[in-house]
Amino acid sequence: MEERGGRDGQVTRRNALAWLLRAGTGALIAAFAVKASCKPAGGRTVWQLDPRKCIQCGRCETECVLQPSAVKCVHGYTMCGYCKLCFGYFKPDAPRLDEAAENQTCPTGAIRRTFVESPYFEYSIDEPLCTGCGLCVKGCTNFGNGSLYLQVRHDRCVNCNTCRIAEACPAQAFTRVPAAQPYLLKEKLV
Amino acid sequence: MRKRCAKLLVSFLPLAAAGESRFPQPQFDTGHTVPQAVHPAFVELVPPWADVLILAVALAISVWLVRKVRSRRWILVFSLVCLAWFGFVKQGCICPVGSVQNVAVAAWTGGGLPWFVAALFALPLLTALLFGRVFCAAVCPLGALQDLFIVRPQRVPQALDAVLRLVPLAVLSAGLVCAVNGAGYLICRTDPFVGLFRRSAPLPMLLTGMAVLLLGMVLARPYCRYFCPYGVLLEGCSRLAWRRVEVTEATCINCRLCAGVCPVGAIASPREVVRDQARTLQFRRFVRVLFLVPVVLAGCAGAGWLSGSYVARAHPDVALVEYLASTGAADEDLHPELEAYKRTGKSREWAETRAAHTVERFQKGCAGAGAFIGMVIVLRLLGLTHLSKRSVHEADRVRCIACGRCFEACPKNAKTAARGSAG
Repeated sequence: MEERGGRDGQVTRRNALAWLLRAGTGALIAAFAVKASCKPAGGRTVWQLDPRKCIQCGRCETECVLQPSAVKCVHGYTMCGYCKLCFGYFKPDAPRLDEAAENQTCPTGAIRRTFVESPYFEYSIDEPLCTGCGLCVKGCTNFGNGSLYLQVRHDRCVNCNTCRIAEACPAQAFTRVPAAQPYLLKEKLV
Repeated sequence: MRKRCAKLLVSFLPLAAAGESRFPQPQFDTGHTVPQAVHPAFVELVPPWADVLILAVALAISVWLVRKVRSRRWILVFSLVCLAWFGFVKQGCICPVGSVQNVAVAAWTGGGLPWFVAALFALPLLTALLFGRVFCAAVCPLGALQDLFIVRPQRVPQALDAVLRLVPLAVLSAGLVCAVNGAGYLICRTDPFVGLFRRSAPLPMLLTGMAVLLLGMVLARPYCRYFCPYGVLLEGCSRLAWRRVEVTEATCINCRLCAGVCPVGAIASPREVVRDQARTLQFRRFVRVLFLVPVVLAGCAGAGWLSGSYVARAHPDVALVEYLASTGAADEDLHPELEAYKRTGKSREWAETRAAHTVERFQKGCAGAGAFIGMVIVLRLLGLTHLSKRSVHEADRVRCIACGRCFEACPKNAKTAARGSAG
C-alpha cells in the first residue's frame, strides 16, 4: 500500500494516461445518459392497456408476474345499458337468467348483479375476486355496450421496467402513460 | 334463450366496430343514480429524486466500507440492508442492470428517457471508474442475495472461466439488439430473482431463481460472473479504476491466504517478468493474435448475422408471420396474435414484408454485436500475451467484487492480527 501511495502522488506519464482514459470513459457514460434523456420526458410513467385495442385473449390473467394478475376488469357504469340479459354476466348457454353459479360467465363469481328497477340490473366488480381473465369483457364487447373492460390496477401493479403482459399481448395494447393519469378509461376515450 | 343469443350475435356484430351503444342507458323511474367507478391512484414509494439519492448514498457507504472500514462483517450487514430496500421493498424495477436497455433505446431513438433512469444507469459505472465494483459488493440486491448462498465455492478452471465469461457479452448484445429493435427487454426477462423479491411469480421464474441460488452454493455468484450484462460495463469501468480493492493494509507477505478465501477467484498471484527466449515467444504469440484479428472479427460478425434470423423470432412481427405460416384454420385459437392481425385488415404480403424488414434489422444488429464480442475476445487474447511483473498477491480489478472476505484472511491486517492474539 505504501508503495502504491508513493507512486500515485507523482505525475508520471502512466498516471496521466490512466486519468485520461478514466475521464474519457466517464465522459462517454455521461454522454450516453445525457443523450438518452435530452428530450424532457416528464416524470414517472406506468403501464396501462388501451381497452380499444384489447382483444380479450386472456393473457392478462396468466402472464403477469403477480398472481393474481394486476389487470382486473373495471366497469364504466356510464356506458352500461343495465341489461337484464347481460352478455358479460351470463354464459351464452345459461340455463336460467339468475345469479346461480352455473349461469355466470365469470369463473370466480366476481360480478355482482343487483336489481335496480324492472327490467334493469346493475353490475359491479368485486375486485379482490377478479382474475383479469377477460371472459366477461369478451361477452360485453361483442354483444353489449362494451362497458366492462380490462385495466391495470395501480394498487397492485409493481410497475416492472418491462411489463410481461405487454410483451405477450397479441394486440400490443399496452403502453406507458403518465403516473399522474394512470388509467385509459373507455367511457372517456370513446 | 339460445336462439335469442344467436340472433343478437348476428344482428349486433357490425356494431362492434362502430363503438356505439347498442343498449342506451335507461332513465330510471326510481331516481337511481349511476355510480362512479373508483380507480386507485399510482402511489410511488419514494419520488424519483429520492431513488437516485438513495442509490448515491448507498454507493458512498459501500465505498467507505470497502476502503476505510475494511470489514467483511459490515459489508455483509450493509448488503443485507440493501437487499431489503432495493430488493424486497422496492421490488426491483427500475434497477441499473435493466436501465441499460432503457438508455440504449432512448439513445437510439433520440431521447425521451426520464432523467432518473439515466442517473441510475450512470452512477454505479462512474463509481466503478474510481473505486471498482463496489456496486456489486453490497448495493446490488441480485449480488447481495447470491452472496448469502456462498457455502463452498469451487475454483472454476481457467479455460472454462474464459468461455463462460463470454456469456454476459452475448446477453448484453442480444439484450440491446432486442430492446433497440422493439422485441422487448430480454435482460429483464432473464432476471432470475425479481420473482423472489416480489414473492409472486410464474413458477418457472421462481424455480430458475432458486436453482441459480442453489448453484451459487458451490459456484459463487453464478449470475454476477457468468450472466449479468451490466457486469460487462462494470468490469470495463473497473479495469480503469483509480483505486483497486486493497487486500492488505501493510506489505503483502505472499502467504496466499487471501486467494484461499476469495469466492470468485479474483486474487492474482505474483509472477516474474519474462525475459529472453520466453519474451520472444510471447512476442510471437502477440503477433499471431494480431494476425487473427480480422479472422475472429469476421467470424464473430458472420455468426452474429446468421443468428439474427433466430433472435428476430422474439419480435412480434416475425412471430406473427411464423404463426401465419404454421397454423391451420383449426387451431387459430392457439395464437390470439392471428385474431389481432385479422382485425387490422392488412394483407399477408404486408405482414411478410414488415417481418422481412425486421429480420434484416436484426441481422445487422446481431452482426454488429458479433463484431463487438469478437473485439472483446481479441482484446482478451492480446491481454494474455502481455504479462507485466507482479511481486505480490493482489485483487484483480476486473473480477474482484469487493466482498471483503480477503480482509479477514490477511494476517497483516490489524483486525485479523488483533483477533489472532485475543484468541
